[in-house]
Amino acid sequence: MSTTFLPCGDYHQNYKQEHAWWQTQFIKGKMILLFLSLFVFIPLLANGYWIGVFNMVGYTILGALGVQLLIGYCGQLTLGHGAFIAVGAYASTLLILEFPWPKFMMDWGIAYPLSVLIAGIVAGLWSILFGLPSARVKGFYLILTTMAAQFITVDFFLTQYVSQIGGRGQAFSLPPGTMKIGPWVIDSNIRVYYVMIILVIFFCVIMANLIRSKVGRAWVAIRDNDISAEVMGINVIKYKLLAFFVAGFMAGVAGAFWISNLAAISPDHFTWYLSLSLVGVILIGGLGSIYGTIFGSIFMVVVMELLQLAVMPLSDTYPKLMMDFLFIKEAAFGLAICLFLIFEPNGIGYRWWQIKNYFNLWPFSY
Amino acid sequence: MELFLMTLITGIMVGGIYALVALGWVIIYKCSGVLNLAMGEMTLIGAYISLTFYSMGVPFIFALLLSIIIGLFLGILTERLFLDKLIGEPVLSVIMVTVGLSFLFKGIVELIWGTDTKVFNPPIFSIEPINIGMVSIGEVYLWSFIAAMILLVIFVCFFKYTRWGLAMQATADDEMAALSIGVSARFVYAAAWAIAFMAAGVGGTFLGNINGLNISVGYLGLLVLPAVVLGGLNSIPGAIVGGIAIGLLQNFSGAYLDRYFPGAVKEIAPFAFMAIFLLFRPHGFWGWERIERV
Repeated sequence: MSTTFLPCGDYHQNYKQEHAWWQTQFIKGKMILLFLSLFVFIPLLANGYWIGVFNMVGYTILGALGVQLLIGYCGQLTLGHGAFIAVGAYASTLLILEFPWPKFMMDWGIAYPLSVLIAGIVAGLWSILFGLPSARVKGFYLILTTMAAQFITVDFFLTQYVSQIGGRGQAFSLPPGTMKIGPWVIDSNIRVYYVMIILVIFFCVIMANLIRSKVGRAWVAIRDNDISAEVMGINVIKYKLLAFFVAGFMAGVAGAFWISNLAAISPDHFTWYLSLSLVGVILIGGLGSIYGTIFGSIFMVVVMELLQLAVMPLSDTYPKLMMDFLFIKEAAFGLAICLFLIFEPNGIGYRWWQIKNYFNLWPFSY
Repeated sequence: MELFLMTLITGIMVGGIYALVALGWVIIYKCSGVLNLAMGEMTLIGAYISLTFYSMGVPFIFALLLSIIIGLFLGILTERLFLDKLIGEPVLSVIMVTVGLSFLFKGIVELIWGTDTKVFNPPIFSIEPINIGMVSIGEVYLWSFIAAMILLVIFVCFFKYTRWGLAMQATADDEMAALSIGVSARFVYAAAWAIAFMAAGVGGTFLGNINGLNISVGYLGLLVLPAVVLGGLNSIPGAIVGGIAIGLLQNFSGAYLDRYFPGAVKEIAPFAFMAIFLLFRPHGFWGWERIERV
């Protein structure tokens, strides 16, 4: 799955055109329309419930981007990404609650953005710590060490020690008004939505640019064959750890962003199943593509919501159904992962690429 | 000293259950090369099936047998429906199908049996501990250890002396050679999953007898992963030793380290140990070391 073909009859005439993000006028128009709908139409037209669903999608995208980077681009299998999201969320919460911020920083709303940044860095460093085994082991063994990261971080470290800080018990709740970016207090779904959309676009752009730079090429080389990558002169360990840092950073920011929506966190939000489902998201969406991540997240959240809407009318006759819906969702998600791997191992992203190329190359598809 | 002995014996006994489940894991890996992450949920399913039969009034032994038989069919079904289609696909897809399966199984278990803790009622094993010499251990531990050992012996005999067992060993050793002398690889894969499901069911039933049955028993089933890493992924004796070692490690850390790190150290210790162990000996004690070439 590489770059999309240009429409029939369009050619590049210099390198600048080839490196451009938006290669034709049509794509430019399409992207502007996309941004318009993201920033204007969706907030205008969608009601609170659907904005909440979109926020969930955004959170999943932010979390899954890091997994995509590790698995899809660098070939480092990870099943413990929920731990780094948790670290980010807790770091940000603790910074807001416990750190003696100067008064003016709280008033001007610098505290929360700064804590998001620090949370990202902390989660990145934590991720490097658990990425260190990748220097020696890979494949299934790396899955096991990242699993260990999940259990050690969330079930032991966060639950037993970090949650005790400040003597609040298990769950930390953030008083309203502390989540403040500049003059805006993030207190409604729509404001969370704007933060989400800016973060998602920012990280997608960062990631896309990383992938097409020297760093990204090194990652892809390591994914395809790490021994030949080393032979070619790539410092494998350095780039692996860099991948872990970037992925951890994204996870940390995702966690720190998500507390603005939850307003209370506990270790229960970051179970092993979160990590597993993030991997499921990128498998459904397609490995090695950024829009695959986005499609996967949309599939996971929106399709499951639609499933819920479909089940809703039945709830009068079978009241137990609504109660058990969470479990139906879980089973359906697992089944979706299995079916995608069996019937469409390249994921939704690949189908999207095929459709796009079909229209681009029409009517001369050769 | 008494604490030490008691921890030692409990550890070995619980480790016997882990060894049984780990054996199922290793059989799947040896025969078909599938790294199974759904083992925890497989133990859950087996445990809940025997619990259901037991609460319907079936005697415990027969409930266990019924869960073994149903496990056989479930194993074959799982293999035919999901894993069979993926022969020859990259390792990642195969691992991730088992992740999908673990979601599926977990959802189904919660859907059918709910999330509340259920106990075997009336209790099968008396709470009165049995005194052996100077230590006393719970009856359930003793019986599960005995059952696990009996099953282990049965499995080992199955592999050594029966036609099917030999066919499975041959496939595990060299699939191409086995195919050329007429062993059906598909049959072997199905049999491996069936055995794993049966072993997991028995292990789960006993684990459920110790502290009651809920979703977290599936987490105990996950402890087979440290066990098989310790023993080596493709070694059956390794799985047994690894299982017992993990049982010991868990109980000793619970008994001695809890003072210094209060809380969940018992649950974490096997995984922390595994992460460190992997750094030094990734192929375990008895596994094959693979030499990689470009």
